[in-house]
Amino acid sequence: MYEAVHAHPDGDSTVARHARTAAEYGYDGVVVRDHGDARADYDAERIADEYGVDVVEGMEVRADDPEQASGYVGNYRRQVTLLALHGGTAALNRFAVERSRVDVLAHPMAGEGDFNHVLAKAARDNSVRVEFDFSPVLRATGGERVQALGDLRKLREVVEHYDAPYVVSAGPFSHLQLRAPRELVALGEVVGFTREQMRAGLREWGRLAERNRERRSETFIEPGVERGRYEEDD
Amino acid sequence: MKHLPKHLRPRRRYLAVAVEAWPDADVDRGDFQRELWYAAQNLLGDAGSADADLTVLDFEMSDGEGETVVRVRHGHVEPARAALACVDEVNGHPVGVAVRGQSGTIRGCEEKYLGRRGELSTERKVVFENEERSAVIRSDAYDVRTDAAFAGATELDFE
Repeated sequence: MYEAVHAHPDGDSTVARHARTAAEYGYDGVVVRDHGDARADYDAERIADEYGVDVVEGMEVRADDPEQASGYVGNYRRQVTLLALHGGTAALNRFAVERSRVDVLAHPMAGEGDFNHVLAKAARDNSVRVEFDFSPVLRATGGERVQALGDLRKLREVVEHYDAPYVVSAGPFSHLQLRAPRELVALGEVVGFTREQMRAGLREWGRLAERNRERRSETFIEPGVERGRYEEDD
Repeated sequence: MKHLPKHLRPRRRYLAVAVEAWPDADVDRGDFQRELWYAAQNLLGDAGSADADLTVLDFEMSDGEGETVVRVRHGHVEPARAALACVDEVNGHPVGVAVRGQSGTIRGCEEKYLGRRGELSTERKVVFENEERSAVIRSDAYDVRTDAAFAGATELDFE
């Protein structure tokens, strides 16, 4: 299972510190999802070697409107293994689910954001993963949290009905905000998710990373077509 | 009052819990118990919280690293885990909380999962983002004092 973290300077802890704690908690890997304007500088391979967890170079594109987002996606898609889009407005949620170059629509219900059947179908057709963001459940209180729980339920019902792909994350900004997979599964169960849904959502980050690495490798031409290994004939 | 006969006494499970915070956090058993009750009540409601019957035993913490045993009613371990996950701050200090394991006795819990708090911390000057800072170091974890707060790092960040 994987967790997608905001590392320093986007968050408070470096990628190495997140990886260290994630390894201790039993994760197989971390995805670095720093926002585009605060990207961490790190050596993924070195950290992975040291702590025995996979480190996926990702990013969360944050834009004011779809036009700007489109430019960023074009610029960064080739640089990173996993690309998420910072959702939370009707226009950006719509933009994300209609672009198969976007891997994950992050926290679609944050702020003014909303989600419906049209977006769920588009997400499924373009295989854009919709994020179930547990950060307000873990860290907000009072009315804000009640609102977030209501939104999460709505999102879950729509996603379930259209069988749209999804990921689960606690969106930690420091190693102190990381929570172990078993704890997240237990929390998900209390708020209406099944255990299997939670596990699948945490595993999905890793599957995405694996798929994208394969696509970025030199032998890949298009889905189903790969350059084979042949003897040179002369 | 006379003790209940053995078959009527509630059965318990004991969770070994690791607690982590920034080095300046001042947290004691009472503070953690209070936050855990709030977390359980907010997540599980009064009824669920009474069922889980969460009690913090043996809380120990120094320099931002601690561990404790939390007593839970048998059959309510999963909601208890969920409530523990929601403990995000104690006395306004951010905390990381993780269940290391569970056991049927306090002793079993301590022997199997606790007592790993090893080395004492040291404090040293480091260069973090081109500025000289002071860092609290325990094994390979570095908590770097920045202007208003801390940044979490490890040995790898200073190679």
